Amino acid sequence: VTRHFRHIGRRMASLDADEKVTGQLAYTHDITRPGMLTGLILRSPHAHARILSLDLEAARAMPGVRAVICGADFVGGQYVNFGPVYADRYPLAVGLVRHKGEEVAAVAADTLPQARAALAMIRVEYEILPSVFSTAGALAANAPVIHAKAGLPPNIAQHSAAKFGDVDAAFASAALVVKGTFSHGAVAPICLETNAVVADFDAATGILQVWAGTQAPFFARKEIAHVLGLELEKVIIRSSGIGGGFGGKSQSPEPIAIGCLLSVRARRPVRIALDRREEFIAGKTDHAKTMTVSTAVAADGRLLGRYTEYHVDNGAYTLMGPAYISAVRQRTCNLYRVGAAGFDGKLVYTNKVPGGSYRGMGAPQIIWAIESQIDEIARHLGRDRLEYRLSIANQAGDQTPMGWQIGTCGLTECLTEAGQRIGWAEKSRNPKPWRGLGIAAMINPSVGVLYPEGNFAHVSLELRRDGRILLGTQTADCGTSQNTVLAQYAAEAMDVDIGCIDVLHMDTENAPDDLGSAASRVTFVSGAAAIRAGEMFVEEICRRLAMRWNVDPKEVEFRDGVGGVRGDNARRLDLAEIAAAEGPFKIVGRHDIHMPRADPKTGYGHYAPAYGFGALAAEVEVDPATGAVRIVKIVSVQDMGRVINPIALEGQMHGGIVQGIGMVLQEELVFDDGEPVNTSLISYKVPRISETPDIELAFVETHDPTGPFGAKAGGEHPINMTVAAIANAITDATGIQFNTLPITPGKILNAIVARDGPRPAAQPWRRPYNLEVAAARALYPDVLFPALKRLGEKVGRPVKGAAQPEMLVPDSLSAALSMLELHGPDAKVMAGGTDLQVGMKQGVYAPRTLIDISGLSELRGISIEGDYLRIGAGTTISAILSSPLTAGHVPLLKQGLSHIATRQIRNMATLGGDLCQEKRCWFFRAPKQCYKHGGATCPCYAVLGDSRHHSIMGAGRCAAPCVADAAPILVALGATLVAANTKGMRTIGIEDFYRWSGETVLQADELLLWVHVPLTPVAQFQHFEKFAQWRGDFAEASVAAAIRFDGPVVAEARLSFGGVAPLPMRASPVEAALIGRRLLPDAIVEAAGCCARGALPLRDNAVKIPLLQAIVTRCLALAAENSPA
Amino acid sequence: LKSLASEIHGVQDASTLGIASINGAEVVLYGDPGRPVAFFLREELGLRGTKIGCGSGECGACTILVDGVAVCSCLLPLHRVRNASILTIEGMASEGLLHPIQTALKEHGAFQCGFCMPGMVMSIHALLQDNPTPSEQDIRDALQGNVCRCSGYVKLLEAVRSLCGGATS
Repeated sequence: VTRHFRHIGRRMASLDADEKVTGQLAYTHDITRPGMLTGLILRSPHAHARILSLDLEAARAMPGVRAVICGADFVGGQYVNFGPVYADRYPLAVGLVRHKGEEVAAVAADTLPQARAALAMIRVEYEILPSVFSTAGALAANAPVIHAKAGLPPNIAQHSAAKFGDVDAAFASAALVVKGTFSHGAVAPICLETNAVVADFDAATGILQVWAGTQAPFFARKEIAHVLGLELEKVIIRSSGIGGGFGGKSQSPEPIAIGCLLSVRARRPVRIALDRREEFIAGKTDHAKTMTVSTAVAADGRLLGRYTEYHVDNGAYTLMGPAYISAVRQRTCNLYRVGAAGFDGKLVYTNKVPGGSYRGMGAPQIIWAIESQIDEIARHLGRDRLEYRLSIANQAGDQTPMGWQIGTCGLTECLTEAGQRIGWAEKSRNPKPWRGLGIAAMINPSVGVLYPEGNFAHVSLELRRDGRILLGTQTADCGTSQNTVLAQYAAEAMDVDIGCIDVLHMDTENAPDDLGSAASRVTFVSGAAAIRAGEMFVEEICRRLAMRWNVDPKEVEFRDGVGGVRGDNARRLDLAEIAAAEGPFKIVGRHDIHMPRADPKTGYGHYAPAYGFGALAAEVEVDPATGAVRIVKIVSVQDMGRVINPIALEGQMHGGIVQGIGMVLQEELVFDDGEPVNTSLISYKVPRISETPDIELAFVETHDPTGPFGAKAGGEHPINMTVAAIANAITDATGIQFNTLPITPGKILNAIVARDGPRPAAQPWRRPYNLEVAAARALYPDVLFPALKRLGEKVGRPVKGAAQPEMLVPDSLSAALSMLELHGPDAKVMAGGTDLQVGMKQGVYAPRTLIDISGLSELRGISIEGDYLRIGAGTTISAILSSPLTAGHVPLLKQGLSHIATRQIRNMATLGGDLCQEKRCWFFRAPKQCYKHGGATCPCYAVLGDSRHHSIMGAGRCAAPCVADAAPILVALGATLVAANTKGMRTIGIEDFYRWSGETVLQADELLLWVHVPLTPVAQFQHFEKFAQWRGDFAEASVAAAIRFDGPVVAEARLSFGGVAPLPMRASPVEAALIGRRLLPDAIVEAAGCCARGALPLRDNAVKIPLLQAIVTRCLALAAENSPA
Repeated sequence: LKSLASEIHGVQDASTLGIASINGAEVVLYGDPGRPVAFFLREELGLRGTKIGCGSGECGACTILVDGVAVCSCLLPLHRVRNASILTIEGMASEGLLHPIQTALKEHGAFQCGFCMPGMVMSIHALLQDNPTPSEQDIRDALQGNVCRCSGYVKLLEAVRSLCGGATS
């Protein structure tokens, strides 16, 4: 029966769109309460340590401090998040800390500076314990014990193993067995609004009101009441905007509970908003996994059996780890038709940030592993990868080894449609070099009983006095438009205009219980509750009107917002009239997933009413010279049942797909000693707008009878297939399979060079200093690093603490120089401030005085002075880019400097600031007590740590590369710099401006005034070539070139590298190879081939050598094109 | 908003840093001259539409226009906006009517959680002010500094293209 829908299937803008585009929606960050305090959390500096003593008294005595708390203050003890079996974590540490960044104590004070000062006064004495950071290490004999749970070996939080069907027989009878190990690290959800809480305790009533970024107010409230020892009814979560969820604000209640206890103790409202770094080091990350997947295949291609052995890295405590155990076993047993299936999964403790949850809950990566194998099998069998998938696709009526009974199933249609739309057949027949196609499928329960509470939802509908309807739900709209979708459901069921519905989400006092926004459950479960509520609402109106008019309720109808007696035009009332006549009333609709819970030990059982499917095809192009992947096109086709709101669903799909692109190509938390070091939105490679490819979406609408109006769940669908499809496309393009994520350009280029060769000669002996460096590096692991680390901690200059500097604003250049003379090393000059202020937060700079020179007109502007261009050091990058003088006389400046950062930063940052910025090494910025902080007594962390971004040439004590794009550009242009102090001016050649370790030669009392760029002789070819994640990102490698031709022959060449050495290194061997030659192909090959002469790469960055060669080649090829004939 | 700060806080004698025009209203600037403008807007003036996503100039949620130029207000010291004309998200819609940029973003469903929106609106405004017919590359370059984790930027790009009559790549 075709039903005509009024609201379902409509492209509706989200109900809160106006509030969002005008900035009026109040997020937790924006909530203020009278007398609100600022809360801060003291975090563990150690990965594993015993707390010997904790002294809060000095902090309590500090001015403005209203509450100081520690673990013992939580009377309820540990969180019970995943049930008592998994309880292992206190809101604030008790006795032991088990990861760096763990919450140890917390302070609430009148102001942020007061809270900071108080935090610094908390004295904690630790006894450091051995720590372990990998699952393999944690499972080894004699590993440090992080947790020992009853009935399990040490460091195991959960062990789940089962076999469904005769797995052993399947493998014994297989014609083909493929086996592979796939692993990946943790990605971070990156909600743009960090986790935050505002808690307001009223001592008179004992009521605690809470505004918090949480996807599940129901669970957060329960947990708060539990750990604080409050009655559930006294805790009320209120509604607020949520700046992103993706699992990152799922059940786990830190820092919420901490803010709550601070408020209870202070008897004042308290806000805690994590800063971006805290969000990285102690937020809720995805879980790292290692998965060994084996598949048994019959000669005709049938999958006889699949077996997965896997470790999930739980981090130091259990939050959502068990859901990850479940995600892997579900895909192992259910994706494609498989005869028998088994698994052995261990959730393993390590001394790292506890895993939380992230979109897909581990499914994207296990699907990647399985789909990689499906490709491998198809290749073995000599079959087309798409056709093969169709032959093994799940079908309606199937029962999987895990007991799932598949009802509606659009997988075949999804695969077929995705193949057609990407042009699979045609492109497979005519493959292009370095282009590749990939396809992947997925299956997702829609949705099962995940919680001990079951899986239920309530939606309330309240007719208010003014005739408007308030829809109440305890789910939390993190941006998914779920509030709009629930209103659509209710409006459809009631047959009213959707404009008369308001939605109140999250509010635990005024909206009924619901398990929250996770596991793609809201559309499916809460949606059904909204329909039920709508039906009850209409029944209630009819009942009341029947009594009013003294007729049989069956005689009363309610259509299009008007109630009346059938066939009687006199007795009709609209909503406002009904509200006025019958008073406000409220009904609550409930929906339960009436399914048995799957066996919690093995996951066995048909536990979801429906299963969603999808297929995603990707076409990529790999640049074999740099390893960069360009996504040509993505086609996603999904069976999500009926589409309720296409505009919202498309947005969900786009967002999930781009998150999947991030996961497969670039995103990864990089750890050092258990601590994430890439804790900024630059060093953590979150996808930006340049990474958005062409995405085409289609939906196979199967209208599932179990779903609300035929819908199935969908939120996690898109990311689940994206990772696998792109990885398979990369394998297709390169012929190389990658078994770790993310598949970065570096990994791809490394693999291509290893296979195809030749690796460009580094010839480290050409730089004699390398001998000394190599010897030191050889001694690093066992001798030098431990010794320097110990020594540095004892005698090195400590990493600077953040203090509030005084700001001076000179009104003239001479005043500025006098200030510099007076304050010297205690002062920092601030121009744009875009590096300085960030560095101050990170502990890179700690000036007592800031001298703000941005107002000095002497330092701004561009002019021609004789035969050079004078650029004020305080001129913004944007001003240089837009100056006609730059474009007309020095095209390299305009073309090259446009690679710096982002529009906003170029509008603020100055040329002098770019040249003088500090290094971006993630160890230095963590900050680790390295050579740059502590001096010669401290080690360089890049020698043993993750050195993928570091220098390959010229690095000694410090391996941080020069990332100022202006530096190599000005070297190529032969610029000179003018600096001054009160005693006078001096001129410095750009090549003399940096010391070998990369610091500038400016004295503490010197100010950089101008940059002089010579205008003659004119280099006809000027170009800046850079390789970075995105245009404005810091360079992995860059080359600036200025070439003067004499006829077709190179008369003079100045080339300089960025991103590969501690300073902008002049490419002398390349220049020498070019002088006097025409830029013919062999000359270019020869010149580019010596670009890395004298390099001595670190463990992880040898790939920068072929990368540098590639961009030098590219640059010279462009020069050849532009050379005079 | 007229002279909001001076009304609330009275005359800020010693700590007065001068005045600025914020969304067309004259406002007294006061307090620590090094305090980032974003915090002054949010905490002193209650203009909480300007969001702080990172505090380090890396996400663009705090983008405002100072004398027509898009900057990260989380890195802009307060004293630098003395006598400047500032436009924040609160100055974009007038008398309850959405700005055409806001309408386009809404109609295209260009956002989800909405936290990036204020900064995104301001960056788009700065772009179109300087260049009413941007190329695809111009659009992507102008919005490179604005991180959105929800949308994948697809509908955002569609919305911006619709504002300039469909850009060519």
